Amino acid sequence: MIKRIPVILDGDPGHDDAIAWVLAAASPMLDIKAVTSVCGNQTIQKTTYNAGRIMTLVGLHVPLAMGRVKPLVADAIIAPTVHGNSGLDGPALPEPADKPVDIEAATLMAQILEASEEPVVLIPTGPLTNIASLLLLYPHLKSKIRHIYLMGGGIDFGNWTPAAEFNILVDPEAADIVFRSGVPITMAGLDVTEQALVFPEDFERIRALNNPVATVVAEWLDFFYGFHRSIGYPGAPVHDAVSVAALIKPEIMTMVDMYVAVELTGDYCRGTTVGDKLGVLKQPANARVIMGIDREGFVDLLAEAAAHYGKEA
Amino acid sequence: MNKLPMLLDCDTGVDDAVAILFTKFLNNLELVAVTTVAGNVEVEHTTRNTLQVLELAGMEHVPVYMGASKPLMCEPYNAHHVHGKNGLNDIELPKPKREPEAMKAWDAIYEYAKRYKGELTVVAVGPLTNLALAITKYKELPGLLKRIVIMGGAAIGGNVTPAAEFNVYADPEAADMVFTCGAPVHMCGLDVTMRAYFTAEELDEIASLGSRQAVFARDVMQGILQFYRAYKLGGVAFHDPVTVLYADDDSYFQTDFAGVRVETKGKLTRGKTVTDLYSDKQMEHNAYVVTNLDRDIFKKRVFEIMAKYGA
Repeated sequence: MIKRIPVILDGDPGHDDAIAWVLAAASPMLDIKAVTSVCGNQTIQKTTYNAGRIMTLVGLHVPLAMGRVKPLVADAIIAPTVHGNSGLDGPALPEPADKPVDIEAATLMAQILEASEEPVVLIPTGPLTNIASLLLLYPHLKSKIRHIYLMGGGIDFGNWTPAAEFNILVDPEAADIVFRSGVPITMAGLDVTEQALVFPEDFERIRALNNPVATVVAEWLDFFYGFHRSIGYPGAPVHDAVSVAALIKPEIMTMVDMYVAVELTGDYCRGTTVGDKLGVLKQPANARVIMGIDREGFVDLLAEAAAHYGKEA
Repeated sequence: MNKLPMLLDCDTGVDDAVAILFTKFLNNLELVAVTTVAGNVEVEHTTRNTLQVLELAGMEHVPVYMGASKPLMCEPYNAHHVHGKNGLNDIELPKPKREPEAMKAWDAIYEYAKRYKGELTVVAVGPLTNLALAITKYKELPGLLKRIVIMGGAAIGGNVTPAAEFNVYADPEAADMVFTCGAPVHMCGLDVTMRAYFTAEELDEIASLGSRQAVFARDVMQGILQFYRAYKLGGVAFHDPVTVLYADDDSYFQTDFAGVRVETKGKLTRGKTVTDLYSDKQMEHNAYVVTNLDRDIFKKRVFEIMAKYGA
């Protein structure tokens, strides 16, 4: 029996967060210690409710804590065009079996880090508000963070603006704190996640697994693809699942060590992750940036995770 | 065959020098005037270098107009470390036999635009200060131009900073004025110019053509090879020369019509040409962004042109 890696899932579900968590909860490599919600794709109330519903669906009974109601400094931005009014439109889901704990997300993370004998991996798939709060409030626990696998940013391009990706744009100050923290970072940005496309035929492969979780995943993909099809994508880019996949199956990706800094000002570039590909700034690398992925290997990983829930039943 | 008129605005500069050599033997364009600007080195140097290289090319008939000595708003930013003390990799050409014309660059741009109404292509391969001043002084100018082809910017990445290319970084306010002026703007940025490279061996092949001009082209470009080794590029990028070739014949290039604005306020991204090629959100489309080229055809054109200087 391999020793499992302790992790905390932090996200703003969101269809791709949800699929990321299905992947994480199915992995025998991971020991999920807690889940925290953040405002991003939808308001904090909605993402927290969605987090509870997903945890119940996948049978994950660990503490869930609600994050801040808004980014550190900026006003909230939400994405109902992508994820619907609930933040997780599409299939019917079970009501949350457990209530969120009565402490802040950052405080729950701190408790987990303190109690853990070995350093813990953080997997943020939304804006980095909670992770930055943790670093600001409990700086002495930095050494208890083994690694941050984050979905956010884009070295070569953005999505919410031409230069910025949604998660970083929503809370650039938080992202700046995280990238300057010195904690090892693996960045799953748009450079790779736009390649992590799941095609309609892949949805059918997952649907055919015919277990309750696989069916829901297929229906999430149906919904998530609806928006992306309307803007010309051949499939659904399951952004957030790449961060989990990078931890459990790095061999299907190509990664480049790079110095990455977050632009906080500008008319067009606030929230841009500026990556020094050519090394012109002569700064040491602070992130391992994922630039490529074996798409089919990624789809296999998702399908295997969805199949796992059939075995359990 | 009647060629269309071209005005070259440059900050000569090693690759500007090669671009000037190329202008003598284009298929579709004829160089009618050159304007100079501060950029790679100071405007006194870029002007003298321009006069010298035109003489080397046997193009003493092309008038030269000196332009801006500094950017619109920011402090001058030069690249002596790349282009050498004199701007030509410290290669000494004979002292020029003539002086620049008395007229200022921005007035000259307007005069030629009026003379060749609707037919003039302005190829700007330095910071865009002169064009911005011309647009400011003559509001009808954009409507008089056939197109503006610039070497500058990048949809992806940068070279002076991770986010900005030298010419746009050197005068971001001027660049944004040009991108939004209303004339058709074609952006030959790093996306294409870094693909238009020559290896050390290929530079030697140019020199082996034998003419003074061919040997000069090799010698002047050779000095900057070291910078591209640091970038892990196979050779030296022909930023300005490829831009002239694109202006002459764009048939072997790939171009996307897209929105481009210049970031002037970012702390890390000042001078970035924010290009809406990949995002979900659309900016108003204002520029033809050149993204790729057929390098084999490009190389063939370079050898064809340089061979015309004889042996």
